Amino acid sequence: MSFSFLQKSGQLIRHALPFGITMVFIGVSVLVLPVPYLGGIAPMLGLVAVYYWAIYRPDLLRPFFVFLLGLLNDFLHLLPIGLSALLFLALYQLVLSQRRLFIGQAFPLVWIGFVVVALIASLTQWGVMSLGGGQGLSLQPVFLQFLLTVFLFPLPVWLLILLQRAFLTQE
Amino acid sequence: MLAPKRQSGWVYTAALSWRAVVHRFSYALFLSLSLGLLVFGHARPVVMQNARSQIIDTIAPALDVVARPLALVETVTARVQSYRSLLDENARLRTENAGLVRWQNAALALEDENKELRGLLHYKAEPALAFVTARVIADTGGAFVRSLIVTAGRQDGVREGMAAMTGDALVGRVIEAGEWTSRILLITDMNSRLPVVLMGTGDHAILAGDNTGKPHLLYLSQEADVKVGARVMTSGHGGIFPPNVPVGIVSRFEHGEFEVTPLASMGRINQVRLIDFNLTGGAFNPIAAKMQAASFAP
Repeated sequence: MSFSFLQKSGQLIRHALPFGITMVFIGVSVLVLPVPYLGGIAPMLGLVAVYYWAIYRPDLLRPFFVFLLGLLNDFLHLLPIGLSALLFLALYQLVLSQRRLFIGQAFPLVWIGFVVVALIASLTQWGVMSLGGGQGLSLQPVFLQFLLTVFLFPLPVWLLILLQRAFLTQE
Repeated sequence: MLAPKRQSGWVYTAALSWRAVVHRFSYALFLSLSLGLLVFGHARPVVMQNARSQIIDTIAPALDVVARPLALVETVTARVQSYRSLLDENARLRTENAGLVRWQNAALALEDENKELRGLLHYKAEPALAFVTARVIADTGGAFVRSLIVTAGRQDGVREGMAAMTGDALVGRVIEAGEWTSRILLITDMNSRLPVVLMGTGDHAILAGDNTGKPHLLYLSQEADVKVGARVMTSGHGGIFPPNVPVGIVSRFEHGEFEVTPLASMGRINQVRLIDFNLTGGAFNPIAAKMQAASFAP
């Protein structure tokens, strides 16, 4: 009985991994990283993780959790509450509907898919924030953040692949 | 054998379609909820601001745990860099010191004169300023907002409107004060508007952030004689900050605007001093006010 309990607890923890690690990614994206020349711009790590799990394990990151992660992103980044939640959910569903294109494909194709997703996310955020602020905001920091996120994409994905292989392959 | 197979196939298909229905329903539900929150937050920004402060207070300890080792890495990196440039730094400091000794003598003479004049005028000295030193645990380095979360809140005497400084340079002001943490809106944020004066010419302007590292000067008069290299200080207008707090240096003129380089290194702020200048204008939150105005606009 205790063995079964431990087994079930282990499974529960493993199943919470996509949510937990995405939460950590969002947390890391607001930390003061000792990286010079970034000028205060941080990559959209939460979006990378949501994109990854939507392709490879959507069964472990349901819409409810995507919603919660979006809210956390909004709270931490001082964005209008609901904006990231809306964006994460919409992009999650978009990727989910196209995941057959990415499953089993080479990494560059997955990367190109993310470029499209990140571009949609950046432009939508820029549009909503400009609309809310009543003025067209500068596109320079938006473009920088987009480039930084796309350029760094392999790094967090490599970490996610390692975690998935270590904890989620035996199912 | 065939009958049970057919039954299990039917059950399996039904279960699959049920899961699809649940997925679609929950997806639509949370999408609507997100949209609802976005609209509600636009109409009631104060409620959302309070909720945000409480949530940041709750998760601050976790952020703090991860931020500490990173701060250590930053310190070690800075130390290694300073060792590498030790000789050059030493020569520069010697020259600077010689100049400063001259300034010290001048300052001492002026201090004596000042004391004498104050005595003659029965001048009442201003009380010492209250300040809190806080560590930065998060930097919302997004493309839309430039703000910091620091480890000091109402319990430490922080209130909205306090000035945030590193060394002697202004970096921003407190816009949200939770119980244990506070949020600082940086002068580089697009919502930041700071009344400033240029040293030397005395020209007044508004320093406006635009989410890049270099805010620019707005509303300069036609006769303004702005020179690259001029020091930018607070003017004291608007009652947000007192006059003559150092902010930055005019660094270049481009696209019809003067850019200002902040004196503080905005990308690498680890500690800030939150100073209470006892002014009332600083309690104004530009982000909340802008949302409030937009929600009541016709």
